[in-house]
Amino acid sequence: MGRDVSPKIDPSRVREHETFELDGVDISGHWNRMFEQRVIFDYDVAQLDRVTDLDGGESMGWCYQCSQCIGVCPVDHVGDYGPRKIFRKLQVGMDFFTSDDLWLCTTCANCLRVCPKEVDMLQIMPAARKEAVLEGAVPAELQDVFEKTARYGNPLGKNPKRRIAWTKGLEVDVPLVSELGRKVDVLWWVSDYPSYHPRGMEASRSLARVLTKLGIDFAILGAEERHDGDSMLRAGEQGLFEMLADQNIEALNSYEFDVLLTTDPHAYNAFVHEYPERGGNYNVEHYARFLADRIGDLNLSEDVLSTVTFHDPCYLGRHNGEYDAPRDLIEALPGANFVEMWRNKQNGYCCGGGGGGMWLDGLAAEHQSMRLSEKRVLEAVETGADTLCVVCPYEVSRFEDAVKSTNNDGALVVRDISELLAEAMGLSTA
Amino acid sequence: MPSDRVVVIGAGPAGLEAARLAAELGSPVTLVEKMGVAGGMPVHSDYAALTHHFRSASDAMGEMVGAVTSNELIEMRVGTEVTSVEGELGDFAVTLTSDGAEESISAGAIILATGFKHFDPGRETQQYQYYELPDVITIAEAEKMLKDENFVTPSTGKPPERVAFIQCVGSRDRQIGNEYCSKVCCGISSKQAIEIREMVPDARVFIFYIDMRMYGYWENEIYWPAQEQHKVNYVKGIITEILPKNGRLVVRGEDTTMGRPMEVPMDMVILAVGMEPSAGTTAMSGILNLPTNKYGFVETAHDILDTVTTTVPGIFATGAATGPADLDDSISSAGAAAAKAVALLRSVAVPV
Repeated sequence: MGRDVSPKIDPSRVREHETFELDGVDISGHWNRMFEQRVIFDYDVAQLDRVTDLDGGESMGWCYQCSQCIGVCPVDHVGDYGPRKIFRKLQVGMDFFTSDDLWLCTTCANCLRVCPKEVDMLQIMPAARKEAVLEGAVPAELQDVFEKTARYGNPLGKNPKRRIAWTKGLEVDVPLVSELGRKVDVLWWVSDYPSYHPRGMEASRSLARVLTKLGIDFAILGAEERHDGDSMLRAGEQGLFEMLADQNIEALNSYEFDVLLTTDPHAYNAFVHEYPERGGNYNVEHYARFLADRIGDLNLSEDVLSTVTFHDPCYLGRHNGEYDAPRDLIEALPGANFVEMWRNKQNGYCCGGGGGGMWLDGLAAEHQSMRLSEKRVLEAVETGADTLCVVCPYEVSRFEDAVKSTNNDGALVVRDISELLAEAMGLSTA
Repeated sequence: MPSDRVVVIGAGPAGLEAARLAAELGSPVTLVEKMGVAGGMPVHSDYAALTHHFRSASDAMGEMVGAVTSNELIEMRVGTEVTSVEGELGDFAVTLTSDGAEESISAGAIILATGFKHFDPGRETQQYQYYELPDVITIAEAEKMLKDENFVTPSTGKPPERVAFIQCVGSRDRQIGNEYCSKVCCGISSKQAIEIREMVPDARVFIFYIDMRMYGYWENEIYWPAQEQHKVNYVKGIITEILPKNGRLVVRGEDTTMGRPMEVPMDMVILAVGMEPSAGTTAMSGILNLPTNKYGFVETAHDILDTVTTTVPGIFATGAATGPADLDDSISSAGAAAAKAVALLRSVAVPV
């Protein structure tokens, strides 16, 4: 047996355009194949300057390569990508604004948590993506979502009138605040996936039952509610965010309520950090905190015979510091056994849905060995849990898909905390 | 004859400070300097701004020299060498030679402050072609250009567009024999990089390093501002060799955090040369019978509790004569040497 001397090509270094024409000659496919240059022939730091010159991009130039970000970057655990690597690529001349690297960050905030130099990807990414949006250099799948959101007010492209479809046939009353004609205690910001996605709708129905059982005076906006815009802002569509925020603030400011209750941590984040400067000041609560503060009134009497693990949403945990409320609720479930995943709370692993990642699965798949949601589901399975509890509407669908794709159907179910609570309260969860 | 005089050899920062303090403590001092002017390396090597704090070297050294010359207890002897020393603690006979004339003075204690010299990169690190390529210079030469406010590529006389620093030249090298870290070069290179960026704003500055050693406050006072405000580019990976190509200098090595070889053109390359014992340190350690370490620096007690006492009673060493030292180190150890020398003379109750 001789030594195999056939050339070994690292696919990641192959550059090939599917269709390409040069001086009128068609050189599509392998005819234009190039291999990434091995030797660095120049440091074109002008590319780094283009990022650090951006309002919000300054800290990209502060990296001193300690590499702590790589240890916690959820994306680098499934593909070759990370903040300190972006800095170096910029120093050797990468055009960030046309690079796929621009879109792989989920703005999960774990790098900023550990960065000694406070290189702030939460500022850098939206600032740089905003430039790409202005240039029209946005991945098609994300551009499609921008357009749907602009047109329909939700990223799923659903008819706004169908926002209340989930309330039909429900045995409890979910009033529209516009029809009540009075102040309500709690205005529930349902959000898009809980309004339109089949599994999200189930969670919404459970939460409606729980709120009703608690005797909460609540109402929803229905068709007047639009996407909160937070993820659009992180994905660089600042104009779209501003339009949505202003429309939402106008709607909200026409009603009287004490508490703005959000299902979605991303919406919560926008209401707390972005809406005030645009004139939207509300007493915002995420439903996990709202319910945790009323644990004594929930009358949790039915056993939930499950081993439950919990996934921290980045925008509830790292972005807004809420780690206890969901855990307090799970611990209060009779009969349930709570187990933590290896990476939890401040170090929770991202589901991949943030920062526009929800709508960039195609691009991510080109660069990653598995989805972040799949990585997380495998970690959940490893705990021995049979139930993965979530409190973010991006996650039910992401994790249910991941359960199937990792062949864990039957081993793990994904349930919203409101579904678990409804079960423990003896309420219907259908 | 027994004496309470302290003879300080070398009028650089350490010697000036040791002389000033010994006199302030009440001892008569003779400060001997081989060169015609006091001030040591910052003056003779035309340093621009000092690391850290960017204070003008001329100003700072002028202040130190002024404090010495205005003190009546201190006699300054420039253009003078110590050519022999006899005797012992409390009763040394020190021979001074100036313009061929010899003179013997009595001293109770001696403080050696003969400092360092810059490593000569043409001598050992031949890959950098320091002797052959005019645009490869050292941080000492860069200091002079910065002091003259005329920072240009030597071969063209024009401001450079791209400048590379190479760290650890002549330090941390078993082949060369200097295994130690010279301690100041990372900070000085970063300081110079800031000055270059201010003087030649269009110049791109790169620092190639093994690991940046920015002790204590140098990190936040020099390294971080260099990168964050002055956009100096730090690249981890030392340059293996410099080759001229198309009128420029191509620096070759590995960009380690990219994991790729690199061959990048530069207009100027500045070698961050380290410290070696000065000729004076070598000569005086022989004359004073002081043991040196394998690198030729004077061995002090080399203890965390005593940085200045040598094996010869009554003889102390301070500053870079004892090993790589920054200015803070030199000034601090000079104070310790002066205090210990004066205290020792008093404890042996030398009759005057």
